[in-house]
Order: sequence, then structure tokens, then C-alpha cells
Amino acid sequence: MTVLRRLRGDRGFLAGSVVALLMVLVAVVAPLLAAAAGQDYTNYHDNLLDSARGGVPLGRFGGMSADHWLGVEPGTGRDLFARVVYGARVSLGVAVGATMLQVLFGVLVGTAAGLGGRWADAALTRVVDLVLAVPSLVLAISLLAIVPPDWPRPLLLAAVIAVLGWGGTARITRGETLSLRTRDYVAAARLSGAGWFRIARREIAPGLAAPVLTYAALLLPTNMIAEAGLSFLGVGVRPPTPSWGQMLSTATTWFRADPMYVAVPGGLLFLTLLAFVLVANGLRRALDPRQSEVLR
Amino acid sequence: MRRIAPVVMAGTLLLAAGCDGGGGATSSSAAFDPATCQGGALAVLNQGGITHLDPARLYTSGGGNIPSLLLRTLTTRNRQQGETSAKPAPDLATDLGTASDGARTWTYHLRDDIVFEDGTPITAADVKYGIERSFAPELPGGAPYLRDWLRDAASYQGPYKQPDGLKAIETPDDKTIVFKLRKPEGDFPYLATATQFAPVPKAKDKGVGYEAHPVSSGPYMVESYQPKKSLVLVRNPHWSTKSDQLRYACPDRIEVTSGLDAAVINQRLATGAGQDANAVTTDAVVGPEQLAQLGTGGPLDKQVSRGEFPATYYLAFNTKKAPFDNQKVREAISYAINRTSVVNALGGSTVAGASTTFLPPQKALGYQQYDYFPAGGTGDPAKAKQVLAEAGLGNLSIELTHENDDAEGEGPKVAAAVQDALKQAGITVKLTAIDASTYRDVTGKPDTEPGLSLQYWGADWPSGGPFLIPIFDGRQIIKAGGNFNLAQYDDPAVNAEIDAINALTDQSQAQARWGALDAKIGKLALTVPLAHEKDVYLFGKNVKNAVPDGWRGTYDLARISVK
Repeated sequence: MTVLRRLRGDRGFLAGSVVALLMVLVAVVAPLLAAAAGQDYTNYHDNLLDSARGGVPLGRFGGMSADHWLGVEPGTGRDLFARVVYGARVSLGVAVGATMLQVLFGVLVGTAAGLGGRWADAALTRVVDLVLAVPSLVLAISLLAIVPPDWPRPLLLAAVIAVLGWGGTARITRGETLSLRTRDYVAAARLSGAGWFRIARREIAPGLAAPVLTYAALLLPTNMIAEAGLSFLGVGVRPPTPSWGQMLSTATTWFRADPMYVAVPGGLLFLTLLAFVLVANGLRRALDPRQSEVLR
Repeated sequence: MRRIAPVVMAGTLLLAAGCDGGGGATSSSAAFDPATCQGGALAVLNQGGITHLDPARLYTSGGGNIPSLLLRTLTTRNRQQGETSAKPAPDLATDLGTASDGARTWTYHLRDDIVFEDGTPITAADVKYGIERSFAPELPGGAPYLRDWLRDAASYQGPYKQPDGLKAIETPDDKTIVFKLRKPEGDFPYLATATQFAPVPKAKDKGVGYEAHPVSSGPYMVESYQPKKSLVLVRNPHWSTKSDQLRYACPDRIEVTSGLDAAVINQRLATGAGQDANAVTTDAVVGPEQLAQLGTGGPLDKQVSRGEFPATYYLAFNTKKAPFDNQKVREAISYAINRTSVVNALGGSTVAGASTTFLPPQKALGYQQYDYFPAGGTGDPAKAKQVLAEAGLGNLSIELTHENDDAEGEGPKVAAAVQDALKQAGITVKLTAIDASTYRDVTGKPDTEPGLSLQYWGADWPSGGPFLIPIFDGRQIIKAGGNFNLAQYDDPAVNAEIDAINALTDQSQAQARWGALDAKIGKLALTVPLAHEKDVYLFGKNVKNAVPDGWRGTYDLARISVK
């Protein structure tokens, strides 16, 4: 319970988790929010654009109005609020999905390496080294470019980001497992005849929870950046599906003509990332106070 | 501005230009005097690099913009302003050519005062040799017309393998050159503007290495050339204004830099810091940043040229594939299309205009207005639904193939605009992106051609022929690849009419017939014309006399001054 108490006293963590939860909520109820605004993320509104000036939104602040709360997208007139809330689904969904997969792979491989004896450890560690050494962005771009277009893009994005990014979790898990397996209670369990699987599940796993959770919280924002980066480079979600990265990508040619179009997805991405980093730091401090003293 | 094959070079490498085409140029002052404009260095900031400088390998409209500075051709763009701007003018030749044998034979006489950069006189044999080189498989890239038009030239392999040369080109003396064609071609004087008609001295020809320093016949010659990177041109001491009144050749030096980002080029031209005040571009159309400042009475309004390169963005149906074999389906899509969204996706009404005709709205091409499936400004989904219901087709689901980037106006932005418009009419569109570098390979092969694709077509020269023939002539369906008749439409009556118009040497007659032919084919809804191109280019604040023409829509470097 000391953990919860520590977390409650951490203002950074509290602020971060409020914002993060809010973003998750927005993503979950995106259709309701868009409906409340009376908008759809695919409908064009040509009448709201100044076609002679390249299609910049008419009116101030990127065409903000009672109908279009955050204005409209330049060039198409699609409602920016609807696109941003739907974009949250892709950005957060892909990041969360990828993080879960990374933790799953990483913990499985890490514990297997830590408990598996010399040869298994050596082999698995080499595999992890390989994963860590692969130039992941280049590989992700080529992987996403060759898959058939009808495969579900968000799932694919999550899978690709996960497959190329589970090495870190595996390393941390292996190290932690190696230190845990020498503890007395593990030795006692082994002497009482417990198999490796039971030891991994009952003795090692609880000890891994804290470091893995902390690491996962740090992975989440990294994965969000990865998704935004891939979408920015044009290999992310397909139009008309919005994502924050894809919105930022199209905004590059508009940043002076229509600054709002850059500010909205850019600001949201920044805020969300900051929130998750605060949460991760709070968790780390609460779960391992000794280490956080050193780190500070 | 990357382009489809017939204009790809014109767009990517080197752009042609001359005088006034569509919009009024804002920069030219009536007092511009070509006699006193000399001096200074002009900088050309471009996106696309000059991959080849060999006259045999360039694919240009009207001889190109940069190539035309060093290569004179039999005829060239007339570089006039206004109504007459889309015509050819004699360059090396004394006139536009004399047609005989029903436009199957074309005879040209060369001027007396034309010389190469080393002072050697230019002869008819040099022109003939230049054309023969362009048939060599070692030097690919030029327009396909000569091989198709010249008599018995279909299998000629160029002067390296067949030094006997082309029988179809005769040079009875040093100053006369005669072309024998296998069919009547009234547009021959337009084709003779291409760089393949530039003289090449046989003694200086180094084959593929010739492009390192093509021997100049124009006002400038090559000082240094790095493919795709840079080109520096300096004055050719042997060229004289007396022999060439079309090129003003004002700057003493022209430096071309390639590989720059369009947004960066336009930002530099708009700001005009230092040397950028003397800079122009031949391929970076303005972006939203500059469009937002144009028309506000600000300083940028004095640094812009507005022209129109004859070109159409359109949806191409493959009528051999269901459901597009059904004319009702094609009509329904025509009714549903929202051209306002498409124009906005292309960059707004300053750089594109809605089109309901396949021919773009230039008189020189024979443009005739028609709108058989009126969609209004923003589409008529109700009418589209009605047409589909009459045909017994309820919820239609189709696939639209497009390029994966927006650089050519055939990318995701336009595709998404089409998708949204058809959604209103109950037609579900699935978008399929293909990498831009292989897009033509897929759509240009009847075996792999998708049912519906985004396309762009530009004029090789301002006439109806090169605009309509590759798209609608049934004999131009090329099974092996490189096909542009995407509807795979073959009507003997249309083919016969094409032959009949080709035989006309009177351009005004030909224009009327091309326009009528377009209006006739339009009834079949083989394409959905979406928009035509408008070209808005910036130039540095010291640049004078930057006026566009009807061939390319860009300003002509041969007439620009930075003094």
C-alpha cells in the first residue's frame, strides 16, 4: 500500500494520469463525441474553404465555428474535431496494442532466457541482440509498404512496431529473472520439487511486475511516436482514416497558411506524450524509491 | 510536377515556355527592350534534376525551356503573347515548312547565318544526323512520333548500327531537308520544335557521352553539367541576335540547381534574399504558403506568372472490366463527381479549374464546351442514384486506383475527394495506392490495368491531335505496355476521323474537327474529366519579362532579364 500512497502524493503522476485517462476516454467514445458535435470525419465541406488561396479554411483560427469546434482541415473542409478524436483511436490504440504485444514477447523470452540454462540463455540473448540491432524504422517502412492494402492497417501497425521493439523488455526481464532465481525463496521452491514453469509463474512473475510495468509505461509514448512517425512518412493508416501523425504529415505544407491545423494534432500529441511520461516516472518512483533517488 | 510518359520529361526535367497563354502576366512591362536587357546571372532553382542533356533523349514540349537556350531546332515556339502564343515559328528553317503530297512530304530550307558554338556552319546533314541519333537504342527517351510518322523508319536502329541513315529524310543540298512521311501529318511543324530536330555535328558525336557537352547552336553553351544536380550555361560567342530574333538571351550566365524542395524554392523566390532576387524556377508550382499571400495586393503579386499548360486530370474507365463496361455505371459516376473537392485537392482554384470536357479549355486544341452528365459544382448524387436504379444496380462497390503520393495530382488527396463524392451517391469506393514509380507500368498494360484509375494527360504540343490520339485511337492500344487508351476503345469511325484530321494543314479547320471529335466521344463517358491545370510560378524580385505562353504555361528563360 505504500506504492499507492506514494503515487497519491506525486502531483506529476496525478496530473499525467488524469490527462492520459481523458485521452483514452476520448478515443473510446470518439463516435459519441463526433455525433455530439454533429460532424463526421469523412465529410467534405468545400463551402468552408477559400479555393483561390489554395483551400485554406475561411474565417479565423482555421475556420473555428459553432459547428466546427476546432475548425476544418485545409484542402478538404473535413471537421477537425471529429478527425482529432477519431485520430486518438488510432494513435492510442496502436500504441497500447503494440506495448501489450512487446511486453508479452519480452517477458516470455526474457524469463525463458533467465531460467533456461546456459545454452538457451546464450541463444535467446543473441536473438534479442539481433532485434535490438535491427534498424527498426527502415524495416518498418519496408514491411508496411509491401503488405496488401486490404489488411487492417492499425493492427498491422501495432504488430510491426511490437515485432521490432520487444528487445528492451526481454533484456530487462532476463536480467531481473537472473537476479531473482538466486533468491532463497526460489531455491526453496526448487528444492520442494516445483518445475520451471511453476517457478516462473509463482515465484518469478510477481517480482517482475514492478520493473516491467515501469518499462511498459515508458514504452507507450515511444510507440506513439513510432506510429506518428510511420503515419507521417505515409506508411501508416490509409485515408480517409485519420491519425495524429498523418494529420501532422499533411500539415507540413500548411504551417504558415493555417497554423491551427498544425497546432491541434501537434499539441494533442505533445500533451498525451507528456502525460504518459509523467505517469511512467511516477510509477518508477513509487515502485522502486531507492533507484529513483539515485536517478534524481 | 512529374508527368506521364508523353510529357514526363517536359515536366520533370526541363520545361518549355514562351509568352502569354491564359492569365495575364503581371510582371511584363510594355517598355521592355530586348536590345538593352543584357547582363547579370540568372539562377534557376528546380525540384527535378536534368537527368539527360542529349537532344536525342529529351522529351520536351516546344523544345523545352532550358534545352531551348542551347539547342536551336527547325521550328520552335513562337514566344508571342496572347491568342497566337500556341503556334510554332521558324527557327533554323526559313519558314514553317512546305507540305506536298497531301501533307506526306515536308520540305524545309535552312537559314544562311546559322553556326555551331565553334563557328562551323550548320547544314541540313547535321539536322538529319541529329534525328537519326534519336532512333538509336543507346539514346532512349525521346517522343515516339518520328518513328511512327517517317516512312520505313519503324525498325531503324540509329546511325551507329545502320550508318546508311534514314531514307525518309533527304538532304539534296546543304540548306534543304525533306521529310517523307508514311501518312499525312498536318502537325509536322509542331513536332519539328522537339530537340530531336536540333543539329548534331557528326564529327563531335561521342554517343552516350555527347550529353556532357552538347554542341550549342543557341545563345548559350554548356560550361559545366552534372546530371540531376546542376547545369551552368555561358554565352555562345558565335550566336547572334540577327540570326535569332526569338531568343532575347538577356543574362550573361544561367545557373541551374536541382534537387530542391518545392516549398523551399518558393520560399526563396518569395523572400528574394541576395542572389535569390535573380532566381526563377521551371518546375516548382506555388504552394499554399504563397497562395495565401497572392491576390492581397502585397509585394508577391508582382512576382508571379500565371499561364496554362494544356492538361487534364481525369478518371479513366477500363471498359473491358465490370462494372465499367456498363455505360450507366460510368454515367452515374460522372453525375456524382464533386469537382469543387477535386479542385481543392489539387491545390485550389488558382492552380486548377473544373473540367467537364476531355480537351482542356484552350482554343489551340479545339476546345468545345459540353457537359453531358451535369454534376453542377459539387455533384448530383440524386441523379447518380436514379441512373443506377434505372440500370438495376443498387449499392455499387468499386475500387479506385491512384498513386501513393500527391506530386502529380493523381494521389490520395484527389482519390479521397472522389471517394467522398461517390459515397453521397451510395457508391462505396475502396482506394488502392500504387507506388508512383510503377504506376504507369500497371495502368499502361491492358492485362494489369485496373477498372478505374486517376490519370493525367498533357499536350506534347498545343493541338488536339497529341491530346486525343493516344487516348481514343483504337490502333494505339498497346498490349505490351505503355498504353494510354485506357478505355480500350476502338471505333473504326473515330480512327478514320483521326486520319482525316491529321491530313489537314489548316490548323483552324483541324481545331474545329478535334473539338467536334472530343464532343462526340464525350457522350460515351469513357472518362470523367475532373479538372484542367493552371500554372502559377513565382520569380525573384529582380526578374523582368517573365511571361508564360500557350505551350507550357511557364515563363520563357530565353526572354527573361535580370539586369
